[in-house]
Formats: sequence, C-alpha cells, structure tokens
Amino acid sequence: MSGRRDRKTTALFVLAAVLPVILLLLSLNIGAYRIPPKAVFSSLVGAIFPGGEGSGPSPYADILFRIRLPRLLLALFAGAALAVSGASLQAIFKNPLVFEFSLGISYGAAFGAALSVVFLGRKVPAQAAAFVFAIIAVLAVLLIAGKSASQIVSVLLSGVIVSALFQALLSLVEFFANPYALQSLIFWLMGSLGQATWSDLAVTLPIIGVGVTVLILLRWRLNVLSLGDDEARALGVNVKREKIVVIVLAALTTAAATAVTGVISWVGLIVPHLVRMAVGADNRKVVPLSAAYGACLLIVADDIARGSASFEIPIGILTSVVGIPFFIVLLKKSGKIWL
Amino acid sequence: MKVRVENLIFSYGKFTLRVAGMTFAEARVTAIVGPNGAGKSTFLKCLASVLPPSRGAIFVDGRDLAGLSGKSRARLVSYVPQEPAFTFNYAVLDFVLMGRAASIPAFSSPARHDVEAAREALRFVGLADFESRPFFELSSGERRLVLIARTLAQQSEILLLDEPTTFLDPRHEMEIMGLVRRLAVERRKTIVVTLHALEMAVKYADEMVFMKGGNIVASGPPREVLSEALLKTVYDIEMGILDVAGRRLIVR
Repeated sequence: MSGRRDRKTTALFVLAAVLPVILLLLSLNIGAYRIPPKAVFSSLVGAIFPGGEGSGPSPYADILFRIRLPRLLLALFAGAALAVSGASLQAIFKNPLVFEFSLGISYGAAFGAALSVVFLGRKVPAQAAAFVFAIIAVLAVLLIAGKSASQIVSVLLSGVIVSALFQALLSLVEFFANPYALQSLIFWLMGSLGQATWSDLAVTLPIIGVGVTVLILLRWRLNVLSLGDDEARALGVNVKREKIVVIVLAALTTAAATAVTGVISWVGLIVPHLVRMAVGADNRKVVPLSAAYGACLLIVADDIARGSASFEIPIGILTSVVGIPFFIVLLKKSGKIWL
Repeated sequence: MKVRVENLIFSYGKFTLRVAGMTFAEARVTAIVGPNGAGKSTFLKCLASVLPPSRGAIFVDGRDLAGLSGKSRARLVSYVPQEPAFTFNYAVLDFVLMGRAASIPAFSSPARHDVEAAREALRFVGLADFESRPFFELSSGERRLVLIARTLAQQSEILLLDEPTTFLDPRHEMEIMGLVRRLAVERRKTIVVTLHALEMAVKYADEMVFMKGGNIVASGPPREVLSEALLKTVYDIEMGILDVAGRRLIVR
C-alpha cells in the first residue's frame, strides 16, 4: 500500500514540475484574438533568439508579450502564492479550515490596495498598502481570538468579523470613489488577471517568488509547528518566532497577489486539501505540490474566464462557484482520514 | 542525567506550585501522584520548560535549564503532554521524525540518519511495522507508544510523560509502564511520569512523589513512603493497603 502511494507521489511531483509550463504555453493560444499555435511558437522562438528567421509578425508578438504573457505569469505566481499560503496557515493554526480568506488577509489586502488606488493616487504602491492592511487584519484576528488562538471556532469567527469590517471599509472607499475609479475598482475586486502590466509584475512577482520559496523551504518545519505549541516548544522549536515568520510570509505573498488580481478566494483552501487527499498530510509534499497545482488551477481558471465567453468572466466568481460546493463537501467530511 | 529542582515557585491565578527541593536520579522512574488539581501536570510542565517558573531553578547535571536555548534544552529533556492535539493525519514515521526537530535546521528536512533514528525508536517500542500507517488509524495505546517513540528519536536523557496511561485498558497500561521501566533500566533515562493509577506507581516506579494543593506532601521509594495515613491526607478518603502474595495492593 505504501509502495503504491509512493509511486503516486513521485508521479505527482514529476507532473508538478512540467504541467505549469505546459499549461502556460498552451494558454498563450487562448484569448479574444485567435493566434495560431504556429505563430505563438515562432514568436517565442523569435523572442528568445532575436533576429532569427522565426521572428513572428509583430501584432502577434505584441499581444503575446504585452497582454497574455504577463497575465499568465500572474496566474502562475498568484496561484502558487494563494495555495502555499493556505497550506502553511492551515499547518501553523492546526486548523484545516483556515486560509487567507478566513483570516481576513484577503479583504485586508483588498482594502489596502483600494485605498492606495483611489485616494493616494498610487503614491504608495498598492502592494505595500495591501501588505500593511493584510498584517493588520491577521493581527486583529489573533487579538480577537485571544488565548484560544488554536481553536477552530474562535479563529474562524474572528476571521469572519474582521473580513466583514474590511468589506465595510472597502464599501466606504467605493462610496467616495469617483465613477471612473469605481468601475475599475469593482471589476478588480471581483478578481481579474486582465489588468496585469509588467510594471505591476515587477513588484509582485519577486515578492511572491521569495515568499513562496521560503515557505517551501520551511515545509518540514511546518509539520512540527502543526503539533501543539507545548509539544513543538519541547521539541526545541521557537514556536512564537517561527509562527510570526510564517504569518508574515503568507500575508506578504497574498497581499502581493491581491494588490494586482483583486480577491480570488478559495484557492488557498481547495488546493492544499486536494493535495492532502492524494499524498497525505506530510507538508514536505503538501507545500511544494500546492505551489505547482495552485499555479495550474489559476491558469486553467483564467483560461475559462477569458476563453469561454465573448466577454471576460471575473476569475474570483469562477473560483467561488467551484470553491463553495467544495468547501461544503469538506465541512461534511472534515476530521476524516486525509487531513 | 540528574535533575535538581531548587526553590521552584510557579503561580497562576490563585494556584501556586511550590517545590523547595527535589532530585530525580538517572536510570530511575519517578511517579508523581495526587488528586486532580494538585499541580502534577504544572510541575511537569515547569520541568519541561513549557511553563516558566516564577522563581527558582531547574538544573540538569548542574546546568540551569533557563539559561539554555530551546534547541539545547530539547536535546536534554523531552516531554509528552497529557492530551496532545492531533489535527493532521501524519504517517507514524513522519510523526516520530518530528522528535528530530532540535537537530534539523528550520530550512532543512530530515536526513537519512534522522530516519534511521526514528526507525530505531519505533523498533524499541515494538511498532517497527507501523511506520507507514496513518496515525489516526491507531488505537489509543498505539498512539501512546508512538509518542514515546518520538521522545526516543529526540535522544534526550530525560523523559517527562504526563499521564501516559490515561484511557488505556489494563494490558496497554502495563505495556506502557513496562516500556517506561525498560527505558530507565536499559537506556538509563531519567523518567518522570504523572499517574492516577496508584497500583501502577507502586509496581513500576522507583520513587513516588505525593502532591496536594501545589505542594509536595511526601516522597520516597513506594515501599517506604506509602501509608494509609498518607493516602488519607492526600486524597481525603480512606484507603487500605494490603500485602498479598508479595504484592502491595491499594483498596478503596
């Protein structure tokens, strides 16, 4: 039995290494403007080896490199960020139902980014404002949950309250925003990768890259931190310090993603659980696999968002429509064997 | 290794734990007994440095525990709480491997020799075949054995076990206490357990410590310290002590 699971794990790791790249290349073909696969290929070759005979016609290259590639890279990084943050937070809170959304991080970050865009004219980068409020949100949750911070119900309840507060504050920003800003604000809040520009990515991708890498490096440590605090301490771990590191990294990566993509919920819950169902609870496997499959999920979701209709469906709506039924099934089964 | 407690005071709300002086010797099992709320678990948590004493100190072979880093402390002392929280269903081997945390840097994962140490620990507690079993599928007795295996993987010389036999049937109760004895005798570990089952303490412990209301009432080898008067003082009920066929029984 263990041999079978080992083979399955190996297969999933191999797939995790290649699937995001394959999906990214395939997804370059999808969009409102049809670009033949051959043109995609020759444009890519042309970009890598400039001046070669494979250089594609320039309108194709323009769409590919100015619109689709940044968008897909954002999907790749944001998916990994949300899934890895979710997996890490579940471990340190010893709570399989916790993720960025339920800790108030998502709406805290959204409020911060909205504040920066609407009132500060982006003088403060949206990512920075998002991060500050993401941290404030998670601190508020911890403060309200208080001593029982590892208890499932109190953390979830505090998260609901803090999320609600930031949603209200967000509405206030919307209320005072001028009509033009309001329209783009609302569209952004529903979650969209369409507004990805290279200048945004230049800030967001490195932050996510570093955050996700460090969380993946901490993968085994997360196993130890998922024990009781007393136990982890007796095993020689500086529980408080390491938990703070994980929370800051999770808030940082989520904020960096949310500042550009808007609120994309449920990825941080669905992906780690699917991975656990397949390979078990060991975070040495769960965290890296969550990164890869989170990236895949968001790329596919974005393909559907922009490829299935003549208009663009906000991706946050798609992930919720899929995520909520999943969450219900999860609640029904929670405590069962894969957790 | 020898553990020495000096003038330990720990206060929490109205409760105060006071231990003027006490020594736990190498290769011996000490059982802390007493009614609920006597401070047994609190004392153990202080020994484990999970709770910081308000005053006083704990020395291991002359070194003050309070002056050590978490890592160096974990190499000396291991601790199993009364009701560990289990959220995730790790495989048994992964669970035992966590005992290695003090010797694995935060950004690393267990190496081959860590896995070997964990396997060796599982062999010692008799669960060698269980390594890929999911933890949640184990019985309470088996879970207790896995927790003890984790302390062995930790390779510390001092083991603190908070009520290791609660909720166990008589056979598993004896199996766990037998294992605790073997660890003291074969591995020369210094072992402190809290227990409710007095018979178990009498049968398996070298020393008994009686606690009540945060204070130590009496201590010594079971044969010498145990008396009907002491049991009356500690538990506030009448208990009789009978010697039957060379065994000391406590009857209520």
